[in-house]
Amino acid sequence: MFIALRDLRRSWSRFLLVGLVVVLVALLTTVLGALANGLVSDGISGLRALPFDHMAFEHGSKATFSRSTVTDETLAVYREIPGVQATPLGVSFANAKSDSAKPDLDVALFGVEGDSFLVSDADAGTEGRSDAQAALAGSPGLVLSGELESDGIEVGDRYTFTSSGMTLPIVGFTFAGSYGHASIAYTSLETWQALTYGDDARGRFSAIALQVPGSAQDAVDEAASSTGTEIKSKSETYDGSPGFTAEQSTMTLIRAFLLVISALVVGAFFTVLIVQRTRQIGLLKAMGASSWYVIRDGLAQMVIVVALATIIGSAVGAGLVALMSGGAAPVELVPSTVISGIVLLIVAGVVGSLVPLKRITGIEPAIALGASDT
Amino acid sequence: MNTSNPSFPPLKLDALRVAVPDGDQDRILLERVDLEIAAGEIVVLTGASGSGKSTLLAITGLLRRTDTGEVIIAGETTRSLSSRQRSTIRGREIGIIYQSANLLPSLTAREQLEVVFHIAGRSRSEGRRRAVELLEVVGLSHRMDALPQHLSGGERQRVGVARALVASPSVLLADEPTASLDPALSEDITRLIAHEVHQRGLAALLVTHDDAPLEVADRQVHLAGGTLTEIATSRS
Repeated sequence: MFIALRDLRRSWSRFLLVGLVVVLVALLTTVLGALANGLVSDGISGLRALPFDHMAFEHGSKATFSRSTVTDETLAVYREIPGVQATPLGVSFANAKSDSAKPDLDVALFGVEGDSFLVSDADAGTEGRSDAQAALAGSPGLVLSGELESDGIEVGDRYTFTSSGMTLPIVGFTFAGSYGHASIAYTSLETWQALTYGDDARGRFSAIALQVPGSAQDAVDEAASSTGTEIKSKSETYDGSPGFTAEQSTMTLIRAFLLVISALVVGAFFTVLIVQRTRQIGLLKAMGASSWYVIRDGLAQMVIVVALATIIGSAVGAGLVALMSGGAAPVELVPSTVISGIVLLIVAGVVGSLVPLKRITGIEPAIALGASDT
Repeated sequence: MNTSNPSFPPLKLDALRVAVPDGDQDRILLERVDLEIAAGEIVVLTGASGSGKSTLLAITGLLRRTDTGEVIIAGETTRSLSSRQRSTIRGREIGIIYQSANLLPSLTAREQLEVVFHIAGRSRSEGRRRAVELLEVVGLSHRMDALPQHLSGGERQRVGVARALVASPSVLLADEPTASLDPALSEDITRLIAHEVHQRGLAALLVTHDDAPLEVADRQVHLAGGTLTEIATSRS
């Protein structure tokens, strides 16, 4: 790196353009990574926070709550399996209007039993839900995601559901997260069934949340086949969130394109650099340098430029995400995503640099003399 | 490190032949070129533009290969050597002075010399010591930390001379080293080269269009039509 370091120190302006492009790519990658994480949270944070490890859906519903209907009879089969915890879950999307000029509610309505492990203190994860449990066990009402409280909604406000005309009071707030980009509102299973089916619920709900110990896995599979249900793991359940898979695929595709663009930009810059330095490379070879010596020097230079630019771009991106958080865009900075983005961009830069290296091996030392066949 | 064996001449060209395709036929650039240069001897190579001087210099410096014949450096034949082996000999035994100094733009005068040691994988401290010593010899002790763009044409060429000598080669090649200099500087550089060649016992081959190098030549050879002819000089 004898020449590489001195070249970077004394001719830094030559690397400004490629550095700037990599900074922008890194910035964009970091922001998109944060957006992807934010979308994940917005899409499934409510499910992720619930303490279940498997979910039983109606067979063929592809983990989509709106396509799945199961009944009390099916629930009873799962509850008979020793060691397995099973609790009903009703999930639907609903719109409700305030009776007192408060903001309208567009929520993912989760119907759970008051004593369900889904809202028990012991397994609540991030926060205790004793308030939710108590509220759901009392008279019918809604327990809303905490963030709705900051919109001015208060306990005691009354909301009328546009689909059924039923009016319910707000009875509490808790951490509930969101599902399908809508804040979650918990209500008792009976209330959810009344909102969804009116007087004709017949013990129906969307799915059964399960806690399955390893020893009961076979029994659960048997129960699934005997009841016409299918078992999904917790992460598979996320795929049923509206738009979740499409959003994640799009984000992954954009980030992959950014990596490819970064590799191409670095490769193109390195190619131009090699062409500009043809005579210098010939001179080094004339002084006894091997092609590997020249390649090592050039590669080290590009790694330093790409690594520095990536770190700067990612840092600026992280700052930008911090400014954006709390706004309309759902962004969430996860350190592991930022670090993996940095590593991938550096690898892409190195891969891009490798492409034009063959040119170096093809440069003849005689070019230092300007010797042609004359 | 000058490793030449006194029983062999530092440089011997034996029956070199080079031809390049030219339409349906081959155009001969060099034909049966023989030349031997003793230690401490300066041979000046002249010839018209396009006569093949640069090609001959490139072959002598192991920068390109000859079709037939042999370049023998310090008694070692080089034709069958691999590119890597030729690079090693080039770095160890051959110093080249270029027409336009050919300095690396981001290295200081001292680093232009140190990089030769770095390429050869030789001691860095020795490289620094040799660089300082050589730059003092060429009168640039006060310009060691200057970058090429801050050096005058004459100073750049002096750095080029020092760089060619830093690895203590046994053969010194120069490609019109005074072509881009005014007459006074041209004489200055020529005298410097001659002094170092005699002082260090190098075999020197100088390609030139100028008169200045002719004044220090022990022999003059002329290249025309691919063949080399010896010309009597005022010194011979």
